[in-house]
Amino acid sequence: MDKMRLPSWRGAFRVWQRNAIIFRKYWKTILLPNLFEPLLYLTALGLGLGAFIREGGINGLTYTQYIAPGLLASNAMFAASFESTFNTFIRLKIGRIYDAIITTPVNAEDIVLGEYLWAGTRSALYGTAFLGVLTGLGLVFETPLISSPWALVIPPMLLLIGVMFSVMGTLFTSLISSLDFYAYYFTLVVTPLFLFSGIFFPIEDFPAPVPQIAWFTPLYHAVNVCRALATGPSPGVLVDIAWILVFTAALALLPIHFMRKRLIS
Amino acid sequence: MNEGTEKVTNVAEATLAARGLTKSYGDFEAVKGVDFQVYRGECFGFLGPNGAGKTTTMKMIYGAAIPTGGELKVVGMDVRRAEREVKRRIGVVPQENNLDEDLKVKENLLVYGRYFDLPRKLVRKRAALLLEFVQLQDKADARVEQLSGGMKRRLLIARALINDPDLVVLDEPTTGLDPQARHLVWDKLRELTGEGKTLVLTTHYMDEAAQLCDRLCIMEGGRIIVEGSPREMISEHVSSEVLEIRAAPNDLEKLTAAVESVADSVDSIGGAIYVYTPDAEVVTRRVRESGITVSNVLHRQASLEDVFLKLTGRRLVD
Repeated sequence: MDKMRLPSWRGAFRVWQRNAIIFRKYWKTILLPNLFEPLLYLTALGLGLGAFIREGGINGLTYTQYIAPGLLASNAMFAASFESTFNTFIRLKIGRIYDAIITTPVNAEDIVLGEYLWAGTRSALYGTAFLGVLTGLGLVFETPLISSPWALVIPPMLLLIGVMFSVMGTLFTSLISSLDFYAYYFTLVVTPLFLFSGIFFPIEDFPAPVPQIAWFTPLYHAVNVCRALATGPSPGVLVDIAWILVFTAALALLPIHFMRKRLIS
Repeated sequence: MNEGTEKVTNVAEATLAARGLTKSYGDFEAVKGVDFQVYRGECFGFLGPNGAGKTTTMKMIYGAAIPTGGELKVVGMDVRRAEREVKRRIGVVPQENNLDEDLKVKENLLVYGRYFDLPRKLVRKRAALLLEFVQLQDKADARVEQLSGGMKRRLLIARALINDPDLVVLDEPTTGLDPQARHLVWDKLRELTGEGKTLVLTTHYMDEAAQLCDRLCIMEGGRIIVEGSPREMISEHVSSEVLEIRAAPNDLEKLTAAVESVADSVDSIGGAIYVYTPDAEVVTRRVRESGITVSNVLHRQASLEDVFLKLTGRRLVD
């Protein structure tokens, strides 16, 4: 096995472009379920459970206001996770799309970088649509779910969050031999993150070491960033953004290495 | 061939050159040091039983496997040092279909062309011409899954040509195709060599090699055991005529003994013996004189298949 090379942006762009061409054909059918899911949580928990939460809510927010920005973050996680698990596995093992691409000037490393960027793009696209819906709902019901102009920075942040979860998902994909293993990834990684990252209740109020553990998980910081931007950020948000950047950068080369090993012998 | 010897002296112009090329997977040595050279406009074939190292050799040419040792130059460049540049100038038809099923027939060519950073307009023009070349212009907007096996193979060939490559690598281009589809693929490949493209292919089919290849080699156990033009190989390694004689299993040994002295060589496999001889009549006379009952005698010209079977053995390799 030869050494891994650094990916080229140009090659990555070609892979991104391939995915974008296909997405453009089906986006209407793909987008809808992705909008429905967070809306279901927002309705069931925000209105249903929220009715039992006393006046004053959490940190001065109604329960719906509290969970809405967190759902933006988890939506990005789900979008990027599906893309980098099932979709990537199908392209790798079933469609053999990558086998075809590596015989062109696009290298294996470029493919993985392109997939990161595509998953990020998908997260940003879904998130922007959901952000629009949240803003609209706030206007209709006269309780703003998004109250700060900083919310305009949310889409690029969702791209970054999507890339982070794509790196994680691709790492898992690069190590497994069958689709069945994703049950482990979703049950043991994605779902616990979804439940314990401060989307539905403040994790800081839990006894040690729960908040400390949460600090070391990725979605916790993504939720902090989205909530801060939706309600008006404090400088503390920079720590969360830095955490995401460092975590993503530290992990990004690993899936590239394993994927290259799978594609090139 | 005069032309052939002239080419051999001009080593610098080889489109493909390997020297002492090896590839190991852990302890297993798939390719054990092979040398070959392929020149511009030639069609060169790799024959051999399964597991001989043909596909591994192809993979090293197009960058899906990295050589363990030795030297491999493709279109004049070292595959290890100029990976991307090599891939820019070759076309690959893989053994297994890996067309993009999410894209339509023509889109497969358009998207693939973009992987080479070719301008959109040029790719569009080439895609139209190539679809015509492989007779799929009516299927341009069809889904890939609607194509027959032969059509998919032709689309793979068109895809391999989108970058106007100097060298086209084909791994078992007609395996699994019906006879009509095979002939159509052969015609297209012949047209390519007619245009001066260099072709390298692997095949199990001796008739395919005889039809297409200017030169070929037979690989076995990771080594090239013989190399030459189809005609040279037949004249060097087997006698001009072959008799396939079928008889009862316990008579085969007696039969072999009866003809051995007048044959160049005798092979026994299944319920038949294969007698290689310059003169079939003498052999048939011996068989008649021996008094052994034979159920069937087939007399034919020696072919590449006989060379292959003689050199690689008449056993089943999987």
